[in-house]
Amino acid sequence: MKTKLLLTAITTLAAGALYAADVPPVGSAAPDFSAPDTNGKTQSLSEYKGKYVVLEWFNPECPFVKKHYGGGNMQKLQQEYTGKGVVWLTVDSNAPGSEGNITAEQAQKIMKSWNTHQTALLLDPESKVAKLYGAKNTPNMVVINPEGKIVYEGAIDSKASPNPADIPSSTNYVKAALDESLGGKAVSNAQTKPYGCHITYKSS
Amino acid sequence: MIVTRWAKLILSLTAILVASQASGQNYQGRELVKASLIADTSAVVPGKPFIAGLLLRMAPGWHTYWKFSGDAGLPTEIKWTVPPGWKVGDIQWPIPLKTIDPGDIQTYGYQDEVLLLQEITPPAKVDTSPVKLSAQADWLVCEKICIPGGANLALELLTSTSSEPKNTDLLARYRRLLPQKFPDSKTVAADWSRNGSDLLVKVTSATVANYPSVDFFPIPQGSTVVGHPTVQSRNADGVTFRVPVEASDKNLSSMPGLIVFAQHENGNDRAAWELPTTQVASSIKSPAPARGLATFLLFGFIGGFILNLMPCVLPVISLKIFGFIQQAGQSRQKIFRSGLAFTAGIFAWFVGLALLLIALKAAGRDVTWGGFQFTNAYFVLGLSVIVLVFALNLFGVFEISLPQSLTRGLLASSERNDNLGSFFQGVFATVLATPCTAPFLGTALGFAFTQSPIVILAMFFAVAAGMSAPYFLLSAQPAWLRFLPQPGPWMVHVKQFMGFLLLATLLFLIYVLGAQRGLDGAIWATCFLLIIAVACWMKGAFIVPTASAAKRAVVVVLMLVLLLGSGFYFIGDKFQSATIDIAQSASGGDWQRFTPERLQSERDQGHAVFVDFTAAWCLTCKFNEKAVLENSEVRDSFQRHGIVKLKADWTNGDPAITKLLQQFGRPGVPLYVLYPGKSAEPIVFPELLTKSILLDKLETITVASR
Repeated sequence: MKTKLLLTAITTLAAGALYAADVPPVGSAAPDFSAPDTNGKTQSLSEYKGKYVVLEWFNPECPFVKKHYGGGNMQKLQQEYTGKGVVWLTVDSNAPGSEGNITAEQAQKIMKSWNTHQTALLLDPESKVAKLYGAKNTPNMVVINPEGKIVYEGAIDSKASPNPADIPSSTNYVKAALDESLGGKAVSNAQTKPYGCHITYKSS
Repeated sequence: MIVTRWAKLILSLTAILVASQASGQNYQGRELVKASLIADTSAVVPGKPFIAGLLLRMAPGWHTYWKFSGDAGLPTEIKWTVPPGWKVGDIQWPIPLKTIDPGDIQTYGYQDEVLLLQEITPPAKVDTSPVKLSAQADWLVCEKICIPGGANLALELLTSTSSEPKNTDLLARYRRLLPQKFPDSKTVAADWSRNGSDLLVKVTSATVANYPSVDFFPIPQGSTVVGHPTVQSRNADGVTFRVPVEASDKNLSSMPGLIVFAQHENGNDRAAWELPTTQVASSIKSPAPARGLATFLLFGFIGGFILNLMPCVLPVISLKIFGFIQQAGQSRQKIFRSGLAFTAGIFAWFVGLALLLIALKAAGRDVTWGGFQFTNAYFVLGLSVIVLVFALNLFGVFEISLPQSLTRGLLASSERNDNLGSFFQGVFATVLATPCTAPFLGTALGFAFTQSPIVILAMFFAVAAGMSAPYFLLSAQPAWLRFLPQPGPWMVHVKQFMGFLLLATLLFLIYVLGAQRGLDGAIWATCFLLIIAVACWMKGAFIVPTASAAKRAVVVVLMLVLLLGSGFYFIGDKFQSATIDIAQSASGGDWQRFTPERLQSERDQGHAVFVDFTAAWCLTCKFNEKAVLENSEVRDSFQRHGIVKLKADWTNGDPAITKLLQQFGRPGVPLYVLYPGKSAEPIVFPELLTKSILLDKLETITVASR
């Protein structure tokens, strides 16, 4: 009986600890972070206050990421919205030794050959930023408004598949969230289930 | 003999050879997944369902996913290509393993090997041999990285009149891992509640509580985003799980899922129960949340009032009016008491029914109005007996009387008996009202069934109040009775005429029995009814005060022998074994039989589909079919727009149809639904269908889907 109680207590505590790393709800303040970009410059969320910020979790090896970069879908989004003053931060949170973990040089090479248009690509090998946002997938998307509140989090679009042929018939949730927000409207689909490869966190 | 044995061996060898076409997925020189199709049979026997399975063998460390993959990953998909007339069932997923990776990434999937089973039903006639069935399987296999894979696989089976089991060990291993239905037992229960953004489910079961490892594997539907379920509390009686919901419809009150229990987490002894839910699973918006409780109670009241005018209730109601005429000269108090007793009878039945439904709902059973009683052939048979006995009584074949009032007839009975009689008349009228789901009642009760016990009770109270209101008012204000004619000898004739109305009701009930149990079943039931009639006559003719005690005893014994003997023979034996194959009693005309798979496949092909939910005992359904659906203008319109017409026959309470009715928030038939195109929301029509509404909708659909 005693051991059972003890077990229950431990499980509850453990659950509590795990939930501390859970997804912050839509509408809550986006947790601040700082991480180095590919040029070694430290970027923090707080310096972009007053602007819309998109966070995009990245893994160049992941077929779901390749789905959106292969046909230029992600690049097009990045170009369109950075052109409208939106800050686009791509984050690689995969731990060293796992597939998808990249150095600054590798990242620069990929950005050049893939012709990407984000504001910056942040390196997060300690998975700190991912933990703050409870990000578990690549791609995983978050949209933050100028007041620093989360207005969207979840999948890039409505069809959970690695097949690029599904893109034209999908609803792009990030585009919809940005268009609605920029147009002064509430985001109608504020939270969806992200899909993709899991982020390999640094084991602590 | 020896020759046939050899032939059999060669045949089965060829079957193995052609069937085992495996396909591998390679990545950087390694084979990650080997996929193949297997079957549980050596040959296809026309009309006989068999099990086919997709066998995936993963390289060590790699895994594929369950139907809900968790925080990452994708479920495996299987698309079959089968000849016309073949049917493929849903994937039966073995209980998955739960994996937790750094960063608290929880996924549900399979390591090393998995077998995904599906039931395949060949048509009654198969012309080719061997038959080639093919399936496109797509999966995502992950280790540290995820690789999508896929294969087009084939399964070739010979056609034969007999077959032998195949792959028995493999299948047995995976059948053991299939989740079980939630136990239908008094000692096991699952109760959902909502606490802020969390769903809580309390599973009461000593069995589950005994296992060291218990877990809830969620299967979120639609746009629901679910967090990580945890055990909130547990004791010797059961376990409560907390299921955080991160995004959902506001009204989400439960979630499908598995209760998984084992000696160790992910142990090979793991077993699971499919959790019952009260959730409306589809995206169809039920009208309930839009209107308040008060509106629905009002609908219940109006619906109850309208029940009085329904053809199945009218004979009993006429009797009551008749009673009022008789009472017109009596004291006001007497009339009031009689009216009160009648009202009490109506309330007693409805409240009893409400309590029964609440109990059944608490036990996790499917509950529906009308069908709950009328899909049971024995209920219909019992009702037939009551109606017949009542009719014979009205004809004067015998008197229903209690010993102290033997000499008095029903009309002249003492006040106490009169009140008792009024009470049972109230009960009786209500029993007969059940098949008439009046237009308002359907919506109101559909709303009630999704609510708490108190709301269900309140709703039934409202219906009872509505139905009894006219009598209650008449008896409270007897002055209004003067609008009714004076009593006189004509009343005997009216009484006898009412008997014929009851016989007409009996005809309808026998028609229902015929639809449920076939012509044989209906004939055996009428044989039993004939004996009942003879017994009633014996009572009326021989058990009279002038007969000696000995003579009366002999007659009573004879009656009992007749009743029990015919009961055992006609009902216990003949009626019991009379069945009807609904599939055979095809819907006729250009209507096709409804199955959920059929509906899905037609919709997948982009066809517009109209579904008629009906039952033999549903008069409203029959009326709508005759007056609207079979109207030539409507038929033309259906044909012109190429709409597939499916008939869902609920006469015997088909559970697949019950489930769909509940998804539409309806407790019974009729229900008319038009599925416009592939993705558009289904359109639900009112229960009293009119030609103009239907034609209007048919026109708009065509324009929209172009």
